[in-house]
Amino acid sequence: MYETIADLLAAATAQQKPISELIIEQEIKLSHSSREIIWATMGKNLEVMHEAAIKGASGAGVTSATGISGGEAVLLKKYREKGQSLSGDTMLLAMQNAVATNEVNAAMGIICATPTAGSAGTLPGVLSVVTERLHLQRDDQIRFLFCASAFGMIVANQAMIAGATGGCQAEVGSASAMGAAAAVELAGGTPEQAAQAFAMAMSNLLGLVCDPVAGLVEVPCIKRNVVGAVNALTAADMALAGLTSQIPADEVILAMKRIGQNLPASLRETGLGGLAATPTGIALKMKIFGQDVSIHPDDENNDSARES
Amino acid sequence: MTNRYRSVFDIIGPIMIGPSSSHTAGAVAIGHVANRLFHAPIKTVRVRYFESFAQTHRGHGTDYAVIAGVLGFDPADRRVPNAVDLARRQGIEIAFIEDQHASPIGHPNTAAITLANSEKYLTVWGCSVGGGAIEIRKIDFNGLIFEPQGSLPLIYVEAEQEIGQALDQIFGANYRLPRVTLMRGRHHIYQLDLLDKPFPEQLEQARRISQDLISL
Repeated sequence: MYETIADLLAAATAQQKPISELIIEQEIKLSHSSREIIWATMGKNLEVMHEAAIKGASGAGVTSATGISGGEAVLLKKYREKGQSLSGDTMLLAMQNAVATNEVNAAMGIICATPTAGSAGTLPGVLSVVTERLHLQRDDQIRFLFCASAFGMIVANQAMIAGATGGCQAEVGSASAMGAAAAVELAGGTPEQAAQAFAMAMSNLLGLVCDPVAGLVEVPCIKRNVVGAVNALTAADMALAGLTSQIPADEVILAMKRIGQNLPASLRETGLGGLAATPTGIALKMKIFGQDVSIHPDDENNDSARES
Repeated sequence: MTNRYRSVFDIIGPIMIGPSSSHTAGAVAIGHVANRLFHAPIKTVRVRYFESFAQTHRGHGTDYAVIAGVLGFDPADRRVPNAVDLARRQGIEIAFIEDQHASPIGHPNTAAITLANSEKYLTVWGCSVGGGAIEIRKIDFNGLIFEPQGSLPLIYVEAEQEIGQALDQIFGANYRLPRVTLMRGRHHIYQLDLLDKPFPEQLEQARRISQDLISL
């Protein structure tokens, strides 16, 4: 198994193969499965991603059960159609697909976790832009997902990808870095440039906390995927232009891990700190649940059992 | 490093009903482990949450997710959001408990799921480590308690005879840790902690010795 990004780069250089190919070969070996089955399974994931991005931006869009999110991917789409955006159509496309995917997730629709559900919009946002700019075919898009997964697996094993253990930097931060690296590979960059893009994308989101209002994967999660997608594209462009990170990718991953471990529990998916603890965040929580449902560890009350 | 994530589909995937891979898809997976290990009609389900699971299970749909898993649903099954109602309509009694203590298995996303009927009970302590991946760190089979290190794959085999050496012959080359055997009277339960997924032929061979084999 590839345990570090340095391992991946060394193998890519020695074998003269793209990273996506190395990880497909590893998957065949570890899963006792065939290339055809693995390729088709990734193809199914790609299909689910496309469907979610389309669903979230069609008609009036989707709305979550709580009503605190939804319908905004459609606003981005309409704004895009006017052609007068500040950041240009390419960025708007990434933004629209990121928001659409996470709105579908919040509305209990079907999505593909990449690497998590809370960060499910980041990769589709990046992939839609790379597909349009580079005229990618379906097989290239599948390859993008394999390359992203190679980097993601190293983060997951060396550090973490759960908001509850590492904050949002571990979810959207990881997704963004994975997307940046895969974008570079598909754009014809070297494995070394892919690792540079990964390092820069992750570095730029270090410290991002997980502070979901009412503990829901809606506010601020949906729009943080916009930052993840846009950050990935800028990091990929920086790497393709020849910019470098100075801090190697493997060390950035370990920095992310240490920061995650040092984050207080209130900023790790408990809904007790950050935006969740603002007056409006608390008011939304009360409105949704009809009561303050947070458990304060210093309370001496007995466990609360509820037939919810 | 434990290499808990060994497949590209742990990272890209699962395909699932939202909203959270750890609190929804992972919770389905833990419930599913309980369902498979219990493999008997269920009368009651008691779900005890710790830490992040205790704080946010409502917002993340963890309740319906765990019950969906207990009913044997897939994380992308359209019935997932209605699982609690479906289970109650089948006459299953369900309770959710928010425990304010630290997780007894040392992870913020912890659920302890107890399934019971008039004959037996089973409790699984699982944690959702991110992206839908889970670990199982403790299992109480009606009083016989295993404490695996957590990472999958794990295999549990129940048999009314001593078959440990036969299992070693089939799976031994793939053991991550030595086999653990617990017994009460003639009833044996074997825990096999594996490095890699077993081959289908190995499972087939072992099932000829005992049908009661669950590969997690």
